[in-house]
Amino acid sequence: MHYQQLRRCGAPLAAALLAACAGNGEGLNANGQPSAPGTVPATPLAANFQAIQDNVFTPICVHCHSGAAAPQGLQLDAAHSYALLVGVPSAESSGLERVKPGDPDHSYLVLKLQGSPGIVGAQMPFGGPYLPQSTIDFIRQWITDGALDNGPPSANADFALAATSPPNHAIVPVSPRPLLAAFNHEVDFSLVNNTTLYLERVTPAGVQGLPGGSTFTLAPGNPRTVLVRPAVPLAPGTYRLRLRGLGPAALADLNAQALGSDYVSDFTVAEAR
Amino acid sequence: MRRPARPWARRLAGFALVLAAAGVHAEPYLAVANGYKCGQCHVNPSGGGERTPFGEVFAQTTLPARHLDTGGDLWTGQLNRFVSLGGDLRYDFQAQQLPKATTTNQFELQPTRVYLQASVIPERLIVYADEQVAPGGALNREAWGLFWSADHSWYLKGGQMYLPFGLRLEDQTALVKELTGINMTTPDKGLEFGWLRGHWDAQVAVSNGTAGGGTSSNGKQESVQVSFVEPLWRLGLAANFNGASAEGSREAYGLFGGLKTGPIAWLAEADYVQDHSLPAGPGGGQKKLATLLEANYSPARGHNLKVTWEYLDPDRELANDAQTRWSFVYELTPIQFVQLRAGARLNDGIPQLPAQHLKLYFVELHGFF
Repeated sequence: MHYQQLRRCGAPLAAALLAACAGNGEGLNANGQPSAPGTVPATPLAANFQAIQDNVFTPICVHCHSGAAAPQGLQLDAAHSYALLVGVPSAESSGLERVKPGDPDHSYLVLKLQGSPGIVGAQMPFGGPYLPQSTIDFIRQWITDGALDNGPPSANADFALAATSPPNHAIVPVSPRPLLAAFNHEVDFSLVNNTTLYLERVTPAGVQGLPGGSTFTLAPGNPRTVLVRPAVPLAPGTYRLRLRGLGPAALADLNAQALGSDYVSDFTVAEAR
Repeated sequence: MRRPARPWARRLAGFALVLAAAGVHAEPYLAVANGYKCGQCHVNPSGGGERTPFGEVFAQTTLPARHLDTGGDLWTGQLNRFVSLGGDLRYDFQAQQLPKATTTNQFELQPTRVYLQASVIPERLIVYADEQVAPGGALNREAWGLFWSADHSWYLKGGQMYLPFGLRLEDQTALVKELTGINMTTPDKGLEFGWLRGHWDAQVAVSNGTAGGGTSSNGKQESVQVSFVEPLWRLGLAANFNGASAEGSREAYGLFGGLKTGPIAWLAEADYVQDHSLPAGPGGGQKKLATLLEANYSPARGHNLKVTWEYLDPDRELANDAQTRWSFVYELTPIQFVQLRAGARLNDGIPQLPAQHLKLYFVELHGFF
């Protein structure tokens, strides 16, 4: 192909691309989401979770931290962020929680936003603009105050399992401690025990319980997330985390709303090499 | 007393001078400007990371405005026949300006990388590592082994690697790179098969699909890329299917290419993503589109003016939410191993979100070897 021909091809392509320009924001709310009649105006930035979600996570972080390819599995959209942040071990720095209620200096989220020494990878938001210290200070204050969830009224939604860790069908290299079951509402912890939330080993001969069962705690400051610690480290093999959502002994939220269905999440601990 | 130049260094230098006479240069735009494939200048056949001896000599003799005489001996990265070393360091001063906010400025160390390659069977079997050593803690970006066929028409790579998808741009914050989530900050563990024959390049990769996450799943990520390279133009297609999430799969498709028109090397890429793990309908962000068009004008050796226009539609089902970004970057490579860059990146988006109106100005020192 000759130079002149190439030039003729390139010019229309360039013109077509340049014809597109930035949106004018019509019909969108302050988070860039569709405005609906009766929509509540965006929350001004303050030291509470909803305000941080609306002013930081939703408009800035979810560009990358959403969906199937969210870096480090951290989804920061409104449906997932709280459950995957508060009391959850960091994937990059296993000694730290992403958000440790009451302790912003040891919350990996804060360290990443500040670009503190010792973080793994780049300061966030990746490539900037980095959050002004005044914004980070609101996040720090929210964590200092216990990292409570004043999120959207998921109370209107049915009580459901939001996520498990390891996720369903995952293969993990070593025995995970702890496992994690995150719900969309605050769970009634009095109902969490080895009959409502339990681990089984899946073998060719069938399914068998684990000796000693598991112990359970709520993620620090995050009553939506249950940390599950098996009594013994998990040997290589396939496991099934079961959550009972039906019957008189079903898991429920604080409004006594049961899960409504049983949940099963399988994962495999890989053979050591 | 000056050591005599090694025969291979002289041969490489001579080869580079021949190329210089033809007006050659480097990076994706340099590959386009010279009609090269990525593997011409990089150890990794799909581009990025450590440079080959050819790439090193090119970077010393052809890229800079002036070559400081080193007496005929050129750095090629080869510590000996089996081991080679390379690196990139970027240090910048940048100012960020947001609407109705005080302009902030800071010195910043960008990711500094060291590359190490062991050719345990020269020309056939290599072991390679790309380690980010700063800022912050060390972070392994790539670590793989690669087996070449005898005629280098195919290879098999296994380990942690950058996935083949579109142009491997220097700017990892480019909207096309952010959209796909496939860039040089999100290596994945898997296998890649490459096929290189004549004008054609093709890669097929299977990986965990967790973008560096701590766990993997039974669902996997498959990447396919095919490109056709001519001296004056190139065109490529890429596709990526990620079934690693239990919440839904993610598909990405890319069309990319390059074109040389006189002193200008053009790059273009358009990527479309459909993420079934996100809610459908307006506001869900399930379907997204990003494009990039870049012109690189090299008025003289060692000088390059890069103008880039980018477009992002973060939700194809939602109107009026698009973002754009213009970048103007001047790159001066005064001597070998040193590049000075200065530029501005001007973002534009919806009025409601100030962060989409960031204006970033920077001056950068880029050292490489």
